[in-house]
Amino acid sequence: MSHYLVKRVGYSLFVLWGALTIIFLAIRLAPGDPAAMMIGPSGTQEDIEALRERLGLDESIPVQYGRYLSDVIQMDFGESLWLNRPVASEVASRVAATARLAGAAAAIGLSVSFPLGIIAALKRGSLLDAAISVASLLGQSVPSFWLGIMLILVFARQFQILPSAGSSGWSHLILPSITLAMPLIGVLTRLIRSGLLDVLHDDYVRTARAKGLHPRVVLARHAMRNMLIPVVTIVGLQLGTLLGGAVIVETVFGWPGVGRLLIDAIYQRDYPLVQVAILFITASFILINLLVDLSYGLLDPRIRVQ
Amino acid sequence: MTATRHITSESVTSLIQAHESGAMTRRTLVRRLLALGVSAPLAGVLAARPELVAAQATPASGAPAGELTLVLPRSIEGIDPHGAFAVEESTSVILTMYLDTLIARDPETGDLVPSLATGWEATSDTSWRFDLREGVTFHDGTGFTSADVKASLERVLELDGPLKPLWAQVESVETPDPLTVIINTTEPLGTIPVNATLLFIGPAAGMSEDGFWTNPTGIGPFKFASWVPDSEMIMEANADYWGGAPLLERLIVRDIPEPAARLTALETGEIDFTFQIAPDQLPALQDNPDLVIDSAQSYGYYFNWFNAQREPFTDARVRQAMTYALDVEAIVTELMASVGQRAQAPIPPTVFGFEAQTPYEYDPERAMSLLADAGYPDGFETTVQWNPDSGPQDRALIQTMISYWDAIGVKVESLEKERGLWIEDLVALNWDMNFQTNVVRTGDADFTLRRLYVSEANRNGYKNEELDNILIASAATTDQEEREQLFGDACRIIWDEAVGIFPIDLIVNYVYQSGIEGFVPAPSSVPNFRSVTVPGS
Repeated sequence: MSHYLVKRVGYSLFVLWGALTIIFLAIRLAPGDPAAMMIGPSGTQEDIEALRERLGLDESIPVQYGRYLSDVIQMDFGESLWLNRPVASEVASRVAATARLAGAAAAIGLSVSFPLGIIAALKRGSLLDAAISVASLLGQSVPSFWLGIMLILVFARQFQILPSAGSSGWSHLILPSITLAMPLIGVLTRLIRSGLLDVLHDDYVRTARAKGLHPRVVLARHAMRNMLIPVVTIVGLQLGTLLGGAVIVETVFGWPGVGRLLIDAIYQRDYPLVQVAILFITASFILINLLVDLSYGLLDPRIRVQ
Repeated sequence: MTATRHITSESVTSLIQAHESGAMTRRTLVRRLLALGVSAPLAGVLAARPELVAAQATPASGAPAGELTLVLPRSIEGIDPHGAFAVEESTSVILTMYLDTLIARDPETGDLVPSLATGWEATSDTSWRFDLREGVTFHDGTGFTSADVKASLERVLELDGPLKPLWAQVESVETPDPLTVIINTTEPLGTIPVNATLLFIGPAAGMSEDGFWTNPTGIGPFKFASWVPDSEMIMEANADYWGGAPLLERLIVRDIPEPAARLTALETGEIDFTFQIAPDQLPALQDNPDLVIDSAQSYGYYFNWFNAQREPFTDARVRQAMTYALDVEAIVTELMASVGQRAQAPIPPTVFGFEAQTPYEYDPERAMSLLADAGYPDGFETTVQWNPDSGPQDRALIQTMISYWDAIGVKVESLEKERGLWIEDLVALNWDMNFQTNVVRTGDADFTLRRLYVSEANRNGYKNEELDNILIASAATTDQEEREQLFGDACRIIWDEAVGIFPIDLIVNYVYQSGIEGFVPAPSSVPNFRSVTVPGS
């Protein structure tokens, strides 16, 4: 087991390094120059060149890359070019907000899609099953900015029972987390339904029923555990997507999270801030998937033995 | 931060008082209480038995009371008055709250009025003296002296931000005594007083330290209390302000980037005050009796530059033809109602140095004959670059202009560019036509005409020696009448030569809850909130 763990951690670090390198190159390939952005339309070419030198942007790419890697290893993330404040504290202050939003969305997503998916599978072919399937398809297809604005217009403006923007209380969390959870519900419901249907026709389930076990026990003890592995995989990937998809929801609802910070930083070509924000999102994604990988051991004893 | 922070006794009391005085129906009262975060049963009780709260009501007369929640047009990026964001609109509004300048502008007349400086004069061609106000203190109690002015100006020069070009000719700053500042320049600089309206003064001790401007000590009518970036900034009244304590106890600046959410928050009463609403949403707001729309002519305007170094715009006749092709009257009436009016010069009438010019009447035949004279009887093809979100109705304006140009045979392709790319190409003169907005931040034509139109600046490729001489002379004299005369000439040349098309002057509008009083819209788009009151206070 520990050999498995070490291998997984090793892969994760490799992926992290790859992501960091790609982001380093990608943001520099984008046209547009941080110094020009900071000086704005009223600057001259000389002003821009002078600023580039001051910020160390005129050094060659390999030199910048070397400095970047050594900074990351020492956890010294430098200052934001655009905001003139330490990058680490900027990102850290937003992380809690994004985590709250993503956590709430994940909780809503999981607690809604499991019952719906199970019911749809058990009542397969019925009107209820059809309704759930259509609803989950809609949930997956609806664009989140449209859904967010619609929820604001209906619940904040029309009925005035929920606030329209901001992040300070529990009531502020409701609309954004529902919006963020919607695509997750759509994907997971259908996945759980099909996963369960697959498993319910297997021999061991038939045996369990033949033994006389109560249907609910069959479901909980035998069927669920066996269908969970693919589901857990997708949940891990989707949770990572939640962090990225939060960008749109954060903008629509004025939520002070990492996603919004990232968008603004890209717009401003603020290399240090973009790099660290992406580092955070990538690291979270990798960590979640590492946990998913490790959970396979818990779910499937066969993997533990390997 | 928890939800209960919004539910202060002042905000609840002021709502109840508004209801008591008849300014608000009970239904609206319950709605506003719910929007604040008060639970439904409690809101019902308060609405039914307002006397439960009324006892706490009246504050001592004269003490600041009430709080105002406002939303600025863009997120606040930073509040350092001397750095990179110094002239950003949102930053400027905040600076006016917690800091002061040496000289201010009267929002109604536009005149220069004393602020931290009580008097100023040019003691020689290259020297200005400022007399400072006595007895002013920063929010931490330290006294305001000439050393603070010197340190602030030197910081502007050192940080190389957008304010620096205004002070480029400054050679030295002397402080012969704690209440006198002398600014010496290498050449005569007549714009020092207007530039001083953008120079906010910070404390010499400490303002250059890292992190000072995330929790700064100010000198203005409001004190900085807290800031969660992208979320909320809170300012509290400075009861010891030299100009008299403000009438509001607290200002809350919230960040709501999505326009639909902002509008909704305004209508439900979650926020009290907002800047700039899109023109297509104004009519709905105008019908709402709970809201007030206040506007003023601003320092901002739209313009479309021609790259005078690229064919066919090297020929003034072609540039003039492009101007005659547009029906600006129709554009203003159909597209820009409530947000713009027809421009009469390269700068708006609110700016010092403005002189009305002969308008280019809509005349497509004349346009086509000018094109033929210049050698383009069948028109030509060209492009226009712009950056979305530059101003109200920008996309609609571009499309309208393109169709007018098409009618005279000129096919224009619209190149919509992301801001980073647009700036890069703009500075490199890599464009045919460039459409954008500009705001004359100092209210003085020097900020725009001299900085952008001298040949040396090379912002649009237009080079004219006569214009250069006029503009250089305008900066070299301290005689304001002479400057006005020179700027008038500059306006005429730029207008007649059609260096650009200047179709629209922008109107700045503010929307707020009725019952809020004392607000004066400022053409600078940077109003102050010192005399504003909210209902019930």
